[in-house]
Amino acid sequence: MLSTLELSPQSLDADAPVRIAVKNLDFYYGEHKALKNINLDFRDRHVTALIGPSGCGKSTLLRIFNRIYSLYPEQKATGEVLLDGRNVISNDIDVNELRSRIGMVFQKPTPFPMSIYDNVAFGIRLYEKPPKSELDDRIEGALRRAALWDEVKDKLKASGMGLSGGQQQRLCIARTIAQKPEVILFDEPTSALDPISTGKIEDLLEQLKTDFTIVIVTHNMQQAARISQYTAFMYLGEVIEFAATNTIFMNPSKKQTQDYVTGRFG
Amino acid sequence: MSLTTPSTVRALPHAEWGRVRQSRRTADKLMRITAAGFTGLAIFVLFWILGMLIVKGLGGLSAATFTQITPGPGSEGGGLANAIVGSVVLTFLGIVVATPIGVLAGTYLAEYGKGSKLADLIRFINDILLSAPSILIGLFVYVIMVEPLGGYSGWAGGVALGIIAIPVIVRTTEDMLRLVPGPLREAGSALGAPPSVVITSITWRAAKSGMVTGILLALARIAGETAPLIFTALNNNFWFSPTLKGGVSNLPVTIYQFASAPYENWQQLAWAGSLIITMSILVLSLIARRIVRGSK
Repeated sequence: MLSTLELSPQSLDADAPVRIAVKNLDFYYGEHKALKNINLDFRDRHVTALIGPSGCGKSTLLRIFNRIYSLYPEQKATGEVLLDGRNVISNDIDVNELRSRIGMVFQKPTPFPMSIYDNVAFGIRLYEKPPKSELDDRIEGALRRAALWDEVKDKLKASGMGLSGGQQQRLCIARTIAQKPEVILFDEPTSALDPISTGKIEDLLEQLKTDFTIVIVTHNMQQAARISQYTAFMYLGEVIEFAATNTIFMNPSKKQTQDYVTGRFG
Repeated sequence: MSLTTPSTVRALPHAEWGRVRQSRRTADKLMRITAAGFTGLAIFVLFWILGMLIVKGLGGLSAATFTQITPGPGSEGGGLANAIVGSVVLTFLGIVVATPIGVLAGTYLAEYGKGSKLADLIRFINDILLSAPSILIGLFVYVIMVEPLGGYSGWAGGVALGIIAIPVIVRTTEDMLRLVPGPLREAGSALGAPPSVVITSITWRAAKSGMVTGILLALARIAGETAPLIFTALNNNFWFSPTLKGGVSNLPVTIYQFASAPYENWQQLAWAGSLIITMSILVLSLIARRIVRGSK
């Protein structure tokens, strides 16, 4: 149907275990119900894209997985989000431990006001005290995986704020993967970047899915088609359709999905 | 798309010249002249003070000002060495008292108490304290420290100056922390950092230069305070005790006493002291500006 979309050869393993299972999830901003009865499975070491028009709740859903919404007392979730069988939205979860297992990369790059080295070391130092040589190795490894090492290896002591926008975003990815999480959440990670930086980040995502379960919110449908194996289409706080990315873009079963992916609304 | 002119082009309505009445132009001109005039007046007064301070102050300034202590009544010469050192000590004490309290209270308001009723109340009280008459604070410290501890002391003076500096630091700390973008805090939390770590190693760091500037401005504010010292550190015409017990000499109160004395050398020293304080405040303000600009 969409000849303009280049669909990647989908290496989709239908037997992959479910890493995050969402069951009957509702979400409230104060009185306003922003998510209604969400049910979704996120497969281990696959990329799942959340697409939909602005305000459909895709970022809201992403921000539940690592409980970042808990920073704001007026926000509330009910239902189940099972990470390896434990409900992460229950009160007895240690949110900081949860967040060390589920990393997040934001829309705008968020380098901390410290050196490039300390930025990447930040997450590691929170929970581990590795000897200096091991720390150095892990930081180099993370920067290499984030395709940033060659650009910063001579200025690790320089401030992370001095990098370009694309470099800053890769620094944030390095900082996240250095902590060795199981899941990485990407909240429109390329919407503030130029096309070349965007290309680099997309290549990176392709590499990262061999080790991490990835959930990405994107406004860019070509991007969803290029990088994800599963796609959920959301509208007005509900999941309209969830299937393999090929199916969503080539052969959607719902009319609304078809209208959205062909650009007729949204 | 072709660029041919559409067939129906409407003529522009005629601009009517002379719609603005002459009286309005005159009123406008008058307003401009009045505003400029009063600005000139304000600046004139400011430069008058500065000019007089520099002329008279430089006249009274000599090497002895920095090496000799304040002269006794009727004796010749003398300097301000004890008053300068005392002022530095008292101001430093004040900032040492005020910085931790001010920074932590400002942090509470900006980070923990956001939107709570308690925080609103504290902010309101802080704003009142910001404009409280400083003599009142001097009297307050007199009652809680000088009287119970049996006498004037530099410690009481430092506490009084600290109380004046606290609301300034609370305010600037809160304002500066509020300027730190929310996503930066979220990014810290998203790595599993508890709020205390996010605040101390991310938000404080991001707001550092603004917070330091606030402390410097508070320093400049208390350096010239006279009223709170009259009831606490009093003054001392000799070197004060290293334990800071008893009166501690300081510039503002010395100026106050010397300026109204009948001896000419005292009056000259009052001018010199005023110049020294003004220049110190000027330098502090310049450093604060530098820091703000450097961080941008």
